[in-house]
Order: sequence, then structure tokens, then C-alpha cells
Amino acid sequence: MSSRVCRTCGGSDIDVDQARGSAVCTGCGSVLEDNIIVSEVQFVEGSGGVSSAVGQFVSADGPAKAPLIGSGFHTSVGKESRAQTLQGGKRQIQQLGSQLQLNQHCLDTAFNFFKMVVSKHLTRGRKTEHVIAACLYLVCRTEGTPHMLLDLSDLLQVNVYILGKTFLLLARELCINAPAIDPCLYIPRFAHMLEFGGKTHEVSMTALRLVQRMKRDWMHTGRRPSGLCGAALLVAARMHKFRRTVKDVISVVKVCQTTLRKRLTEFEDTPTSQLTIDEFMRVDLEQECDPPSFIAAQHKAKMQQLEQQLAQKLDDVEGQISCYKDEIETELERSRPKLSGIYAAYAKEIEPEDAKALPATPDLEPPEAEDDELRAAAQQLTQDFLCQVIQEEEGRGEAGDDSGREEGEGSQRQAAPLAAILGKLPAPVSLGLQQTFDASEASEEPGDEPMEGGDLDLDGIDDQEIDKYILNQEEVQVKTELWMKQNAEYLKEQQEKEERIKKEKEQGTYKEKPKKAKQKKEPILASTAGEAIEKMLEKKRISSKINYDVLRDLNSRGTGSGGGSSPSRPAPDPPDATTATRKRVARRRRKKASDVSRSLAATTSMIGKRVRHLISSTSKKRKTAVQEEPPTAPKRDATPEPTAEAPPEQEAEAGPALPAPPPGPEVGEEEEEEEVEEECVSALQLVGDYGCEEEEVF
Amino acid sequence: MTPITPATPASKSSEIVPQLKNVISVVNLGCKLKLMSIALKAWNIEYNPKRCPAAIMRLREPRTTALIFSSGKMVCTGAKSEQLSRLAARKHARVLEKLGFPVKFLNFTIQNMVGSCDVKFPIRLESLFLTHQKFSSYEPELFPGLIYRMVKPRIVLLIFASGKIVFTGAGSKGFEGVKERAVIYEAFENIYPILEAFRKK
Repeated sequence: MSSRVCRTCGGSDIDVDQARGSAVCTGCGSVLEDNIIVSEVQFVEGSGGVSSAVGQFVSADGPAKAPLIGSGFHTSVGKESRAQTLQGGKRQIQQLGSQLQLNQHCLDTAFNFFKMVVSKHLTRGRKTEHVIAACLYLVCRTEGTPHMLLDLSDLLQVNVYILGKTFLLLARELCINAPAIDPCLYIPRFAHMLEFGGKTHEVSMTALRLVQRMKRDWMHTGRRPSGLCGAALLVAARMHKFRRTVKDVISVVKVCQTTLRKRLTEFEDTPTSQLTIDEFMRVDLEQECDPPSFIAAQHKAKMQQLEQQLAQKLDDVEGQISCYKDEIETELERSRPKLSGIYAAYAKEIEPEDAKALPATPDLEPPEAEDDELRAAAQQLTQDFLCQVIQEEEGRGEAGDDSGREEGEGSQRQAAPLAAILGKLPAPVSLGLQQTFDASEASEEPGDEPMEGGDLDLDGIDDQEIDKYILNQEEVQVKTELWMKQNAEYLKEQQEKEERIKKEKEQGTYKEKPKKAKQKKEPILASTAGEAIEKMLEKKRISSKINYDVLRDLNSRGTGSGGGSSPSRPAPDPPDATTATRKRVARRRRKKASDVSRSLAATTSMIGKRVRHLISSTSKKRKTAVQEEPPTAPKRDATPEPTAEAPPEQEAEAGPALPAPPPGPEVGEEEEEEEVEEECVSALQLVGDYGCEEEEVF
Repeated sequence: MTPITPATPASKSSEIVPQLKNVISVVNLGCKLKLMSIALKAWNIEYNPKRCPAAIMRLREPRTTALIFSSGKMVCTGAKSEQLSRLAARKHARVLEKLGFPVKFLNFTIQNMVGSCDVKFPIRLESLFLTHQKFSSYEPELFPGLIYRMVKPRIVLLIFASGKIVFTGAGSKGFEGVKERAVIYEAFENIYPILEAFRKK
């Protein structure tokens, strides 16, 4: 308090009375100041004799200027966008957090996280509810509450992995390290939900012990904690003689039956499962098991090894068998009588047949080159063999001709399987060869790579192989037919697009940037504002939180109905405005937002600056009430023809004011005149209208 | 093979080498392509303009898939090594050339490589997460493996409790693709001692 000097006596002893708001000199008694601004709290008596303090709460991080307009604004009117976002976020956090039964401290922490997120611009491109959910889950993790991400996704009806992605990103960006989830956290919660009555605590304790045992047996690494808890609780319940079926448990724990069964099976494989209940409560086994995934991997590796060994052994055994076969056959042939004369001729005939039979048998995958070699080798072998046979038989004489012939045929049959065996055996060898070829090819290529030059290097590419991929004429036709049928819709769309572009090129309004193909909106034909609103509401749902039936009822009665239509009509940004009407239309459309309150905020924030802006809204409201002629409606379309439509528009608008449709510029002037007249009325109207709009929204 | 020498890096003594499982590469064919006509002339090309603006060509040998865009750029995936990826890309381009387009083979670059290996012992992911929180992300509710983002070299590893490790590159910002296989080997050298520390005793 600056020590002032009294004007009359020069004394400096001034008494300032805060309550009365006056400064008096104690020396001469002259009043120096009256009506000092008092900073006392004043009370006002309300209805029912309740005294309440006068004043408004202004938050520390609120707007710089206090809300000027009235005292009825609960919405974020006149605040900046950032404050709005934070306020909206806070509201959502409170809502969601109360559903999760989080205490206020957690909710405050969540809001702090949200503030950090917003300041780091991480909300851009993400749905706010996802971000809110992620903040809440972050709090749950840091505080250690038994809430799962699944709970949040249930509440929001969002895929849990989407939420998880957002959560991970936020955790990384905010450098918040949430500790790993411990399944023990969930046990009390699930036990409570399973309703064990008085013995809940005991069952929980048993389940906890089970979970700890599972942790030591490496069953919980990489698994959802809820699955483990489910299995533990099931076993604990049974141990305490409660009949909880798998279905009960899975409805509480939110895993599926298969998972639960699997966990139980895994637990069964551990040595702990062999203990009795008493032993389990007392004793802790030292041995720790391997994680089930590790065991499964080892098992698989072993099986593969076994199979390989088996295959090798088969090959070996077959090799041995064929050796034995050869020996047996040679012995047999030696002991057989030799063919002579006609039979020798027969044997020779059979040989070419044999040779033909051989190519049929090695009908395998080895590449052609190796195949040919095999065939040649097999042929050679069998021919040698048969020659041997024939010689032996001839040498023996005619004694066993028939038997010799039969045996000759039998030897054929044996020769064929021999060829088959011979054909099969080199297969792994041929594969190995192929691999070496590839390897050598690969090793050759690094030498070729440096020659880039941009031309396609054909080294190592087999033309025949490439040609196999290309279709011939008939096939192309068939495929064309099929493809056209499949993609008929797409082609039609493309055609329409082309036509549109062509038309616009002629018009001279062709825009280079690609337009989104929007459906032509049908004009809303309505005689009254109420009807117009109804029709608009039917067409477009602004928000899922509005009860449209009630809204419709309200609108059919209320007069401020026009306000509802103003922010909600959908349309893209129109082309460059050339006429005054066009500008107004553009501004009208720009105000559209799916959020009615946002539009309110937008309009009111511009009150001081752009009265004209608001006037256009009111004039539009008037116009909606006056919509009578259908041709006016197309102005809302995405692709209007500016010059052609402007006159009819202006005609319609000028309709109520002037009966005769004058040419363009004059109408413009007249409209402006109209607007000027309206200025006087608009402010009041505005306040009244906004009052009505408020009612609508709340 | 001698277990006594402490100086040798752990992985060398264990003789485990990460295997490349997938190589993704891009190449510029240098000319505009008419995807519709391409799709109709070959049986191994599919084109569904509503779903995807690229034509998909599959090759049998090496088994790869290529995405071909009308601008002339092509992405080739599925090859098991860098050389095979190059060969496959050239084969794809050759098919297009045979269909009548003046293709070139410009700026062939490997965008990413995926490798995997097995350390053959179980790993305690929770403890690893606790000690390396700055680099790892472990959410059993979302994914059974631990995602380890190594800084030097810049690579992402997926570590599983069974002892299997997956090395990859392309992911979020800062972790663009693994361009050379040496990166994978280096990463394995770096991670092996860490994993041994969390081995199941």
C-alpha cells in the first residue's frame, strides 16, 4: 500500500477500510478515496434462503480473457482450441475412469499424461478416445491396478490391438516405463468375480501359490496373464471343493476354452501337478521346467531329425536290398537254362519294350538333364543285364524254355523296379547337384552386378522359363472376359470419372487435383424449416449421442430450428467464389462441423470480428425457411455450374423480397441491402437463436 | 570349439549364425506401365484395382512376389538372399519386357532384410525387460515376444522365450530397413552375451 499524502493536511496516516472501500486521512478526516475496489467475497441469497458466493471460477490454464457473453455458457465458449481439447479430454477421462472405478488420483494422473500427449502433438491423426484409453491404461499399469487392456477395449468396443498400438506409442514417446504385468495382480479381482463367498481369501491364496509355481516353471513368459490366472483359479477352486466349470472361469477371465485347456495341460506336464494338495501347500519343488514353447521347439527339431535319419536309413536299406537282389538274380540266371533260337529273338524284342518301360518309371522331379542321364544309365544297365541273362540262357540250352521265357519276363519286371530304384536313388544326389549349380550361379553374379547401366541384364535368366508365364491369344481372351466381369463396377466408375473430367475441361473448371468421388446429394425439398431439419437428420447422422427422435420433436415445436441445420449440412469446399452469393455459400459450408458445439464456439469467437459472417448464417436460416424452389438446391452440390446456377439462386433468394427476377448485379445489391436491414435485428436474433441452439444440444 | 578361451566372442564359440529368411527390394523400371494389359497377358499376375493400385506378380523360381505400380516402380519380396532378390527382380522385369514394355533396371536397392536364429536356451523375458527397459518393449497381452530396439546397429529384434530371435529393420521411424546382412550378424554378436545373462540356469 503506497503511503499517500493527504491533500488537505499533508498527513501520511491514511486509513483504508477494505470493507467500506474508502480511504480516510486520520489527521483531518477528509475522505481521499471512495468506492475502492473491494476484494471481499460477497454472498447472495438464492432461492430457499441458500447463500452462495458471487463469482466465477477461472482456471489457471484457462483462457486469457474471461467469457464476455452472458452467464449461461457452460460450453467452452471463447476458449482456445487447446483448452477445449484438454477440457474435452478431461471429461472423457472422468467418464471412462468412473466406469473402471478408478480413484480420483488415478484420473488426475491420467489427465496429466493427456496434457503431456497433447503438448507433444501426439493426438494428431488419432481418435481421442483411443488416446484417452491409452492414458488410462498407462495409469493402471504404473499404479498397478488390476485392469486389463481388454477391459478398456470392451468398454470402447475397439480392437484391443489398436489400443495396444496407441498405448505402446504413447509409452515410448512419454518415456514412461510401465513395469511388466504380474498375473498375481489379477487374482483377487477374478476371485471376487467368481464368488467364492467366505472362502474367497483362501482360494485366492491357493491360486496365488499356483501362479507363483507356474512362474517358476516358466509358463507365464510371453503369455497373457489372464489365461494363467484362469487356470490357477480353476484348480484352486477345485482344490477347495468349489464347482467352477471352465465356462464360468472363461466368462470372468476373458480367454477362450482352448487357451485354458492348454494352460491346464501344460501345468499337468510339470512335476508339481503330481503332488497332492497338502504336499503342494507345504513343499516347493526345486526343479524348474523349461517354457512350453522351448519344449515344443525341441520336440519338433527332434522329430525332424528322426525323419531325416529314417529317410537315410530307408535309402541305405534299399541300397542293400537292391545289392542283394542283384546278387540273387545273377545267381538265378546262372542256374537257369539259356534261351535259343526263337526265344533269343523274343528276348531281343522284349529289350526295346524294356527300354520303353524305363522312361515311364523315373517319373520324378529331377531336372531334364539329369533325367536323360539317368534314363541312359538305367537303359545301359538293364541292357547289359539282359544281355548277360540271354547269354547264360543260350549257353544252358533249351531245357527250360518256357520257364526261361517266364523268368525272362520276370527278370523284366525285376529290371523295371531296379530301374525305378536306380531312378530314385540319384534324386537326392541330383538335388544336391542342382544346389551346387545355383550356388555357382550365385557366386558368378556378384561379378556381374557392377555393370548397371540401367539395362536389364539377362544373365542367368532362362527365356523358356519366362515364356511359360505368358499366355497365348485364346487364354488372353478368356482372362480378359473374366477380369472384365469381375471388375465391372470399377470400370464403370472410371468411365464416369473420365466423362466428368471431360465435361469440366470443356467448361474450363477442371481442377488438377483429384476430387473425391462424392455422391450427388439430393436437394432437400421441404416447405418448413422443421421439415427440412427432419429430412436432413434422416440423411446424415451428426452424432451418435443425440436422440434424434427427441430432437425432431423439439424441432417441430421450436423456432430456432434453423440453427441445427446450419452447421451440419455436408458438402466439400466449393470452387472459387465469384459472386457474393457464392461467397456466402462458401462461408456457410465452411462452418459445417460434425460437432455442433464446435460450430457454436467458432461462430461466437468470430462475433467481434465478423458480424457479416453471422449475418449470413441468419440469412441462411431465413433462406432455409424459405426454400421453395427445387432448382435452388443444387447449389449445395459438389460440382455446380457457377454461372448458370447463380442467376436462379439469386432469383430464389430475391423471391420473397422482390417478385421479378432482375439480372445478377442488381440482385446482389438488393441482397446486400437486405442484409444491411437485418443487421439491426440480427444481434437479438442471434442471442435468441443461440439460446435455442443451446437447448437443442443439452 | 575350445570352451576355455574367454577372449573369443560368445557366439563364435557357439557357432550359431543367423539365417536370412526374407529380402525386400525395390527397383525402378523406368517406364510407365499399363497394369490392365499386363494383368491380362500373363497367368501369374493378378490385378484388383479397387483393392490395390498395383499388380501382383508371383514367380516360382526363386519363389517371390512382386508389386508392380503403374509408375514403373516395383517391389520384390520373398527372396532368401540378396543375390536371389536381384535375380528375381530381373526375372520379373524380363516378363514385363516380353509383354512389350521398354523396361530398364534402374536403382535396384535392398530395402529390408529379415533374419532369424535359435540360441537353443530359454530366455527370461521379464528380467531382460527390467534391466533393458530403455530399449525393450514387452507386452504379453499384445505380443508374446519382447521387442528389443538396438541402437548400434540400428535394428529391431524380436526375442522369444523359446530362444528364437528374429532380426528385422523396417518399423517405426528411426528403424528403417536392414540394408546389409552384416548388420544382422553384428546385432547377433551384441545380443548374445545379453541373452546368456538371462538364460535359464
